[in-house]
Amino acid sequence: MTRLARPRLISNVAVGVLIVLLFLLPVLYVLMMAFESPSHFLVSPMTPGSPDVSNFGTAWSSANLGGELVNTVIYSVIAGVLSVALGLLIAFPVARRLLRGHSVLYTFLFVGMFLPMSIIPMYAEARMLGLWDSAVGYILIHIAMPGLPGMALAVVLLTASIGSLPMELDEAAWMEGSSYLAYLWRVIVPLSRPALLIAFLYAMLNDWNDIIGPVVLLNNPALATVTKGIDTWAGSNSSQYTLIAAAVVIASLPVVLLFIACQRQINQASLAGSLKG
Amino acid sequence: MTTEATVGRRRTWVRTRKNRVRTQPARLLSRGSRIAMWGGLWLAVAAYVLFGIVPMIGNIIISFTDYTELQGVAVHNVGFYNYAQMFSTQAPGLEQGLVASVIFVVGVTLGQNLLALLLAHKLVGAGRLAAVGRVLVFLPIALGVTIVGLLWTLIFNPGTGPMASLFGAFGVHSAFFGGDTAAMPLVIFVQIWMNTGFSTLVFIGGLRSIDPALYEAAAVDGIGGWQRLRRITYPLLAPSVTANVMLALVGSFTMYNLIYVLTAGKFGTQTLGMLSFNVAFGSYEADLGYGAAVSVLLFLLTLIVALPLLIMLRRRERKLLT
Repeated sequence: MTRLARPRLISNVAVGVLIVLLFLLPVLYVLMMAFESPSHFLVSPMTPGSPDVSNFGTAWSSANLGGELVNTVIYSVIAGVLSVALGLLIAFPVARRLLRGHSVLYTFLFVGMFLPMSIIPMYAEARMLGLWDSAVGYILIHIAMPGLPGMALAVVLLTASIGSLPMELDEAAWMEGSSYLAYLWRVIVPLSRPALLIAFLYAMLNDWNDIIGPVVLLNNPALATVTKGIDTWAGSNSSQYTLIAAAVVIASLPVVLLFIACQRQINQASLAGSLKG
Repeated sequence: MTTEATVGRRRTWVRTRKNRVRTQPARLLSRGSRIAMWGGLWLAVAAYVLFGIVPMIGNIIISFTDYTELQGVAVHNVGFYNYAQMFSTQAPGLEQGLVASVIFVVGVTLGQNLLALLLAHKLVGAGRLAAVGRVLVFLPIALGVTIVGLLWTLIFNPGTGPMASLFGAFGVHSAFFGGDTAAMPLVIFVQIWMNTGFSTLVFIGGLRSIDPALYEAAAVDGIGGWQRLRRITYPLLAPSVTANVMLALVGSFTMYNLIYVLTAGKFGTQTLGMLSFNVAFGSYEADLGYGAAVSVLLFLLTLIVALPLLIMLRRRERKLLT
């Protein structure tokens, strides 16, 4: 590292401290809380006691985290895959300009990224179509729900990504008699992996973290997502601080692990590709 | 996530369109494949229209009805009744909703962008520490509103929370999220905390797209740090500023999921979005028509504020860049 001028060094350290205080400490604190015995926490909330893992077991069964996590994984993975797959089915013809109104269609989908959350009509529509309080309905609605624009973003990212692939690829494959869907699956999907991954992660995380959707669109507790379940459960156990902390740690673990696993891709894609001012 | 990118890409795309020879490679496909292609395309568009566009139109329609959550009750066209109700004095919460929305939007937009600018300036580098910093700052977005909300509720719990102890040591006692004085500033803080990582990434993208040769040239000419900031960084960062201000503004105007988790709109935090939700599904009687009218108003307000601001920021970009 090159030697820094003194004022520069001081400001770097100051921002470093700020980041640690603001972004690391709160997370570490709740992590510590999750390992506290409730009695020790009540006496001295600021200092760690001897680690106690019983919170995790109690929270797991009391908040029914297992079932809710399974539900959340099923909903968000299927909805994420569907929105990216459907996005690809739009993006390819649009990127290759195979239909006359391709730019109109593109704009139409582009706008979808900015639609505000509108849960009231979503609820009415779900009731009318029999999709309310049903796992299948919940997944279908989350393919293209306004405010959680997984599919719109997939179209935008994939159109750009497919646009950069040479058209000769299509012609060569099709001349040899490859079918359309097989071609998409064997050639376009592998070549567009970074865009597909980002679009999928974005759609899936949006669906995973949705709280308003499950509160309004799901009623049966057995269908609840982890966000709805944990929020309701914490509301009725609001003084069980260490238990809530343990539940928070459990519920965020899958997302944090996924985030760390895909950190490099997220960083690269968002810095290099999609955010050029 | 990609406002600027897509805007940029669309421009190049329009430019190249003229130069390209239109081919008809689809004719190479078999009949079955062509059916699969068009079928797939229209299936996907249908899903998008059904779940993405229909609700947007449905919202306007519902705002003219007396639709309630009660099933089997006939729905009537009530004309502008919900809108008239909204501006009558007995209507629940519109005035407070407007005030809360304005405070929330201004606080979040300013706070989030200033903090993100500071962080981006320090985290733009290629070093290990900067990379760790970027992960930390971005993590709250991945955690999601529910986890973030619960996390801060725990930290600001007025009984035995660390902040209660910290403030208590100075003789300050607060109900935090459970009281009128602190709830709104804290909700603003958590919203900023949650979304700063994204704005930071946008700013870092903007900073990285500035040609380093400009800084080298400035250094050769002996132009100092402050002048470099003013003459190079400030104007060339303008597109990122536009993107970030718009994202924070529209986001904080329309999103209420974090407020739902933190206070559910109590203690002066009932923004218009939160009001619309609460009227329809929350503590008031389940009046979906009125809720829809509030959200139509919110949508119009967002447009009225966002569009002129966007035009202004775009003009500012052009002025700074030429």
